[in-house]
Amino acid sequence: MLPRRIYQFLIIFLLGIAVLFAVKYLFGLSDYVIPSPADLRDTLAAVYKHYGADVASTLSVAIIGQVVSIFLALMVGILGRQTTWFGSFIKVAAYNVQAYPIVAIAPIIFILFGDGFFSRLLIAAMICYFPILLSVLGIMSEPVKEIEHFYRVTGRMRWQLEVKIRAFENLNKLTTVISGSATLAMAGTIVAEFIAANAGIGYSIRIALYQSDLSKILVALFLIGITLAVYQGLLEAAGRMIGKGVTVTR
Amino acid sequence: MALSCNHIFFQYPGASTEVFQGLSFSVKQPGFNALFGPSGVGKTSLAKIIVGEITGYSGKVNADGMTRLLYSYNLERLPDWSSVGRHLDKITPDSKEEHKEALVEVFGMTDYMGLRFSQLSLGQQNRINLMRYLLQDFELLIMDESLANVDEMTRESIILKIKAMFPDRYFLYISHNFVEVSKFCREIVVVRGPLKQPQTLSLTGIDLKSHQSVDRDRLEQTMLEIMNAA
Repeated sequence: MLPRRIYQFLIIFLLGIAVLFAVKYLFGLSDYVIPSPADLRDTLAAVYKHYGADVASTLSVAIIGQVVSIFLALMVGILGRQTTWFGSFIKVAAYNVQAYPIVAIAPIIFILFGDGFFSRLLIAAMICYFPILLSVLGIMSEPVKEIEHFYRVTGRMRWQLEVKIRAFENLNKLTTVISGSATLAMAGTIVAEFIAANAGIGYSIRIALYQSDLSKILVALFLIGITLAVYQGLLEAAGRMIGKGVTVTR
Repeated sequence: MALSCNHIFFQYPGASTEVFQGLSFSVKQPGFNALFGPSGVGKTSLAKIIVGEITGYSGKVNADGMTRLLYSYNLERLPDWSSVGRHLDKITPDSKEEHKEALVEVFGMTDYMGLRFSQLSLGQQNRINLMRYLLQDFELLIMDESLANVDEMTRESIILKIKAMFPDRYFLYISHNFVEVSKFCREIVVVRGPLKQPQTLSLTGIDLKSHQSVDRDRLEQTMLEIMNAA
């Protein structure tokens, strides 16, 4: 799965670059608008270390944000699974709040918390929190009747067992959502950095944008894409290993 | 202890027709009894009404002296995170360890206790599911197709063992196998469609026990009675 993720990214990225070059040469655009392959190579050689460190910084924030959002979504999803007033309230609140674009709230976060690590983390966590929450709520609210029946009628059902049954029965869905949310966490962090932060690859892209340097932006995109492909591939592999471990070791 | 249902009226929300229109029956003695009837007549609904899993009906269910009424059905699953043996260990009270070992043997599951539920055949899955219900405290156990996909020989020995092990409990066995129902059940409650009145007829089965032989003529007569009643 990991090599496939990388191949897929490389194919798409190279196709994108090919289209850019085709446009450049078709319309005779200058190197200031779309850089030549040589420019691109030189820029890559010049900035890959600096940008690599920036991507690592962004990825670390994204990972922490994702972990925070997974933890929060599980907590809220477990509370919201109940068919009580409180459970319904949480579900309705989750559906409504997620409709509000986080990017629109981002300036408030930067005004209140400044342009440092915490703001990036908060925005990353918020962006990937709601999709995870909606999935967790859906999974946790849906009884697995044919398994739960016995435990209910014999008075053995506890909330921990209920959560365990529903999570286990939907392990594939959960791992897919979690690995998918990695993209959102990364996107959230980059958006936060792009808007106002003082570090990370989003911040570097903002500077490249002010310099109108497409080479740097393309190099940044390449590094973001390859890092994300590796991270997602690793998450998927971990998900598969958890699934196998859960069913084999006991 | 006795089980009776009096003038049960029930309609599923949104359905245009009633499932039960004044259904009544009683099972006066413990033992292996049956709920029999064609598909879709409401046997499962009735079972769920008896154990309290369905509400919103009118009429009265009397389960005098019974506090633990269980309903098991053949589509139930055990979680796949551990072996069926470990699941069984967890839900078996200490006082029923001997019962468990006896049931594992009679149910022909000795060699499969280390496997997970999904690794078992359908018949084995149904057997393990029924076993865990039998290991609980209950006064009434409704077995809704609980021995489906189990071969006839094993089914017979399981039913005979259940009858021998739990002579003072109430069982309601839901099955479409009228030979089996005629042969092993004591009281047979035949449930009929809502257009037929009365909606149930009670018949007496052969109630075969271990080491008894079947009277062929009586078996045929009982089967005919069931077919006519349904």
